[in-house]
Amino acid sequence: MASLEKESAGQASARAADGKSSGRRWLAGLLGIVGMLATLAVSDLAIAADTPRRPNIVVILGDDMGFSDMGSFGGEIRTPNLDTLAKKGVRFTNFYTNPSCSPTRATLLSGVDTHRNGLGNMDEWTAPNQRGAVGYEGYLNDRVATLPQLLRDAGYHTYMVGKWHLGKNPEQIPAARGFERDFSLLDGAGSYWDMTNFTGASPLSVFTEDGRYLTKLPDDYYATKTYTDKLIGFIDANRGDGKPFFAYVAHQAPHDPYHLPHDWRNRHVGEYDKGWDAVRAERLKRQVELGIMPAGTQVAERMWFVPDPIVLAPASRAILGKKMELYAGMVENMDFHIGRLIDHLKEIGEYDNTVFIVFGDNGAEGTDLFAQIAGKPGTRDFLYAAITWSQTHPNAWGDPGSYVGYGPMWAQVSMTPFSQYKGWVAEGGIRNALVVSGPLVKRPAGSINHGVMHVADIMPTLLEAAGTVYPGKTSGGHELPPLMGKSWGPMLGGQVESPRTAQDYLGWEVFGNRAVRKGDWKLRWQYKPFGKGGWELFNLKNDPAERIDLAAERPDKMKEMLATWNDYVQANNVILPSRSPFETLEDSLPPRVADDAGYPPLIYKRQFVPPKEMVADPQL
Amino acid sequence: MNKTHWSRRVAAVLTVVGALCTTAAQAQTPGRFYLRGLSDANAVPVIVNSVSGNTNPFDPAHTVTPGANFDATMALVGYAHTFALFDRSAIAAVIVPMGRISGDVTVGGRTFNQSASGFGDPMLEFNINLIGPKAQKNIPDALRYEPGFSLDLLADLALPIGEYDSSKPLNIGQNRWYGRVGLPVIWQLGDWVPGRRTTLEFLPAVWMFGDNTDYVGQTLKTDPMFQLDAHLTRDFTEQFWGSLDAAWYSGGQASINGVTQGKKLNNVGIGLTLGYTINDNLNLTFGYKSTVNDNGPGDLQMDSFMVSLVFGWHPLLEGSKRLKGEK
Repeated sequence: MASLEKESAGQASARAADGKSSGRRWLAGLLGIVGMLATLAVSDLAIAADTPRRPNIVVILGDDMGFSDMGSFGGEIRTPNLDTLAKKGVRFTNFYTNPSCSPTRATLLSGVDTHRNGLGNMDEWTAPNQRGAVGYEGYLNDRVATLPQLLRDAGYHTYMVGKWHLGKNPEQIPAARGFERDFSLLDGAGSYWDMTNFTGASPLSVFTEDGRYLTKLPDDYYATKTYTDKLIGFIDANRGDGKPFFAYVAHQAPHDPYHLPHDWRNRHVGEYDKGWDAVRAERLKRQVELGIMPAGTQVAERMWFVPDPIVLAPASRAILGKKMELYAGMVENMDFHIGRLIDHLKEIGEYDNTVFIVFGDNGAEGTDLFAQIAGKPGTRDFLYAAITWSQTHPNAWGDPGSYVGYGPMWAQVSMTPFSQYKGWVAEGGIRNALVVSGPLVKRPAGSINHGVMHVADIMPTLLEAAGTVYPGKTSGGHELPPLMGKSWGPMLGGQVESPRTAQDYLGWEVFGNRAVRKGDWKLRWQYKPFGKGGWELFNLKNDPAERIDLAAERPDKMKEMLATWNDYVQANNVILPSRSPFETLEDSLPPRVADDAGYPPLIYKRQFVPPKEMVADPQL
Repeated sequence: MNKTHWSRRVAAVLTVVGALCTTAAQAQTPGRFYLRGLSDANAVPVIVNSVSGNTNPFDPAHTVTPGANFDATMALVGYAHTFALFDRSAIAAVIVPMGRISGDVTVGGRTFNQSASGFGDPMLEFNINLIGPKAQKNIPDALRYEPGFSLDLLADLALPIGEYDSSKPLNIGQNRWYGRVGLPVIWQLGDWVPGRRTTLEFLPAVWMFGDNTDYVGQTLKTDPMFQLDAHLTRDFTEQFWGSLDAAWYSGGQASINGVTQGKKLNNVGIGLTLGYTINDNLNLTFGYKSTVNDNGPGDLQMDSFMVSLVFGWHPLLEGSKRLKGEK
């Protein structure tokens, strides 16, 4: 089935791309017809089975959105629409993605470990020893079936808007991978205002709409707004036929650059001048009050190269705080447009029958992406940036041509209380806020669950919700890799507290950083200086901020977890990369030192005020 | 986390302070004159005007002397300080004109070829913002400054202590009290981003003059004069901007011993200004202005070249520079 659908989708992409041979066209056409007939047959069955109606499904992805950003997860950022979904549904505090974006998206859409689905490494960082290896193609490979393909086969309309980042060639684009309608940014990031991208070699972002590569963007384009408009249009266009829909809303927001309409830039002026430590403390306090984190939770160490903000000049705090102001605006603007979608579904009577799944695709972004892509003076990319990305004045932040990311200090705030951020397998890189609401949820409205979940679980969960099954094999007999996730059905139904037992494990590896979690234990290896260049062991129940390495203390657990890691490697074709974006990081950062509060006392000492009765003018 | 970024921003903010200081009260106030900067900044302007026409440029009444042809080189040097008053931004300044003027003057049917030189009447200026952003009492305030719509109250007072020779009709000092009250308006058009800033500015003002009771032995009176300055300014780059300028002079009827002299003013001048920020401390402007439709008898005729250098400083910026020098 999956292969037939793949061919059918391939035919669609072939239409978009000129130059295919007539023989291939004939074959694709024949397979397309067969595929269509098969689809129609399944669709009819599915429609007949729509009594009671199967739920619509909306998966909302916030790109680089942090664990604590939503109000319902302790954030001061105003997200009333997302919070309403949380209030109506369930919040999950132990939900994991991959540490970077395309691996997460590939796992979401395939249900298969990222080392098997083509994103064993990000396309941009494929290591020499991974080139040509199956599972490391750099795009969502054709050995997996996709969630939209299977849902479409099951009678769903399938829509996508937003960022794809899973391949640009005609056979790799959303239309070829199961989406009936799409409006997609194929790149990993870019301007929110136009087609400007980041490098001289690849200056333009690539967009598709319904399988066609766009030559220009619609008038009045602003990514978050346009994605929402397009999706509403897709939903309305097919409303009459009574079929449920699956919508993948892969917002570009709040990924940098923080491009934002004027109205959204100044809603938090000065609020972040207090600095990251204070905001982290406030968020953690609210998290404890809300029940997101247990009482007694400590925040992770402040990154050793990030200063205590109280020692910074007001101007520094204002400028750095403004970056967070913009980020907050990005999240709030995204929430506003999500609210538009929700309102529309209410207007057309579909809201109550819609499952919403909301999460961020990885940890918040603490790395200066622009520094990586803009190059140095005298280089090709610097020249490109000088022309297209040089609106550096704070008053220009948000405009076309500006590039603002908020840096490691605010990324840590977004990931409160966890350690580190995107790209790393510390909890700050992989643990995300998750909200699920809608007809699948039988747990108390507004409740919080601490079960261990994974992005790969979404595929089996939604297939189950749609009343279909993972095929296992293609109709051509090609064996599909097994789904790695577990359905949330019993857990959402309130029968169990977690889809996983204490013996189930989760594994991660991207850029050479690697980890496994089993029960409350986590084994982690990261490049120096974020890691030790060796294995570290943490008990997440007692130490969610990963402050205390128990590797030396618990050799028994180390041995067990190392065996688990080896199982993960074997089961998922993990090829550790011979090169990594972090391989020389140790040389460019100051030596790592402990984050001891109040050290050195020198910088915290206040003016000495003597007792009043002992004060005197000098004697003549 | 790049600290040099913000220190550059601070420098840029303080540079604006330099542009704020008072310039030639006697001449048309240039564009961007009333943009605000950080409180407790200082500035010293040096402005040189080369003026020709049928009026004495040292006299803001612009009293026309029909048939006269003056050439003047006028320099103005002053000091300005910005501060916060009732949480509003304010400027106090003093400026002293100096220079020389020569030309033919006709008084009572007699023509004199005269010249004068020396120091003119010092002028005190006070300006406070009434509508618009609050005073910039710290650097974050300055970094967040955008004028939006700003309305100020302006008051000038000239002290009659400049050099004056009562035997001559042509003088540098005016031998009378005079001053003005104005309402400077700044209207920000579009984003407030260096390189893209655009403003529309107006300064409606009324000049009022005391009597000169010893004007070649006679009494010179001048009615109040209304002056409206207008500027459309626009950045070309972050450091380079220009403006189209216009001025309208109305009233200012002069009389000597009760005998009306000429006619009251109703004249328009137009001009252009180019401004350049040389460094964190120093601003340069160049301008030219000329009256138009000025061929009638009694019309104000005046054209002037103006070059100004304004040196601005703030203790914080200077301290930062010293520290940077230590690194």
